[in-house]
Amino acid sequence: MNKTLLGYVPERSPIYAIHPFVKLFFLLVASLFPLFISAPEWNFGLIIFVLLLMLYSRIDMRIMRIYVPVAISMASIIFLAYVVLGGFHPEFAEIGSLLGIRVYWERIRDAIVVYFRILPMIVMMVFFLNTSRERDVIVAMRTLRIPFVVTYVFAMALRSAGMVIEDFGIVRQAEQARGFDTHGKSLPYRLRKYVMYMIPLFALSLRRAEEFSNALIARGFAFTGPASKTKRADYILTHYRFTRLDAVLTALIGLAFAALLVLRYGFGWFTLDRSVFLPWLENLLLHR
Amino acid sequence: MAIASNRGKITAEEIWAVAPGERRQVGVIHIVITALLIGIGFVVGAFGSISFPLGFGVNFFWTGIAVQQVGSIWFGIWGVIAGTIFPFFSNAIAGTPFYVSAAYIPANLFQAFLPAFAFRYFKGDIRLNRSRDFVILIGAMVISSAVGALWSVLVVLRSFGLLTTNSVPLFLWGWFGGNVLAGLVFNIILLKALSGVVIRSTAFVKRWLA
Repeated sequence: MNKTLLGYVPERSPIYAIHPFVKLFFLLVASLFPLFISAPEWNFGLIIFVLLLMLYSRIDMRIMRIYVPVAISMASIIFLAYVVLGGFHPEFAEIGSLLGIRVYWERIRDAIVVYFRILPMIVMMVFFLNTSRERDVIVAMRTLRIPFVVTYVFAMALRSAGMVIEDFGIVRQAEQARGFDTHGKSLPYRLRKYVMYMIPLFALSLRRAEEFSNALIARGFAFTGPASKTKRADYILTHYRFTRLDAVLTALIGLAFAALLVLRYGFGWFTLDRSVFLPWLENLLLHR
Repeated sequence: MAIASNRGKITAEEIWAVAPGERRQVGVIHIVITALLIGIGFVVGAFGSISFPLGFGVNFFWTGIAVQQVGSIWFGIWGVIAGTIFPFFSNAIAGTPFYVSAAYIPANLFQAFLPAFAFRYFKGDIRLNRSRDFVILIGAMVISSAVGALWSVLVVLRSFGLLTTNSVPLFLWGWFGGNVLAGLVFNIILLKALSGVVIRSTAFVKRWLA
């Protein structure tokens, strides 16, 4: 198994046949798709497509359980924003009343449209985080010729996030060994005491900053001055070849986006008027 | 390093003053501190985003504000850069869509920048030894969080169609209150506890770059 940003992917996963740049390109471009699609059934289809990609990549789908609470809380927030706090609109079609709050069909419709716009974006992000290792993100950035210092900062940030999590565990165990216990205490108490973790984390990071910079200087790294102008060998890029398959996939993603724009603005596809699901739902709610 | 003028004690003005002959320049330490701040903010911010979510990256109690604002006060532009970037990643882990997170960048930039600017402009003591220093800190926190809330809710969330007009106040107060409340709890304690150590470190930034 190879560790990715969010989980693990088997070594024999077909996703490793694809250049990291293509995965990043897919995330950046495909995440735009839902913004141009209003009909929820199309966005739902997009979700299914990405889930199938995850299955094809042999991702452990149990990782999606982490995001079930996220999806539920997102639905609750959208429901709150659109229905509970939707306001008084006599021009809208009223479905009924919920604890004294008027529920309108237009607000339900808009909430569904928004929710099914957000979900594919979340699923695509989860797909990217599950199929990309830290090294893949670095390779994608270097392929785009992003300056070395930017790439290096990003790589160090990802590495330090892992170290901070380990430090957090160590500090927590040390405090528990000294009798610190928040079990049964109130939430405000726990929040106030959370600062007891942050101070050691900051102190450890400050010490680590000195150690890291000394190590980098000792190895001849420099980000300013004449030493920084030395052309660096991109050794890690030598491990990745941008193949014909990658070029085809990149072109397909770009063409798909172009096709989406043409269909949307040229032929009126993916709009609310062309939705199949929403009229059915409207009929169900208004004419029951 | 600031020169002590009174039996080893450094005054607020001396914290920010570059002594005669003192040379300060950008170094590897500043690049490293930026990366480490992003890493800390990533973890701390994700904790707040996952634990106290309101929705779409807005939180009732965002612990990442401490890294965002204290980091920029201590490390100048490097803290501002880190404070602008790390929320993008912590929001992504918490499930906020990619382009919504990206659109929050101006709000996070201002929230990180203003406290750093306020302390440098008014020569505040980052150890918070006087009531004036508290006023500078709290004023900067309140103004920056208010502007951040206005941008994030009125510009970002409304532009993406994620909110109705009637629900705007809830998210405005959620963003503003979530940042100010967490800032009051964490910023003050962090500045009082660690500023004395940071001032004496080579990573401390007196101006903006070094």
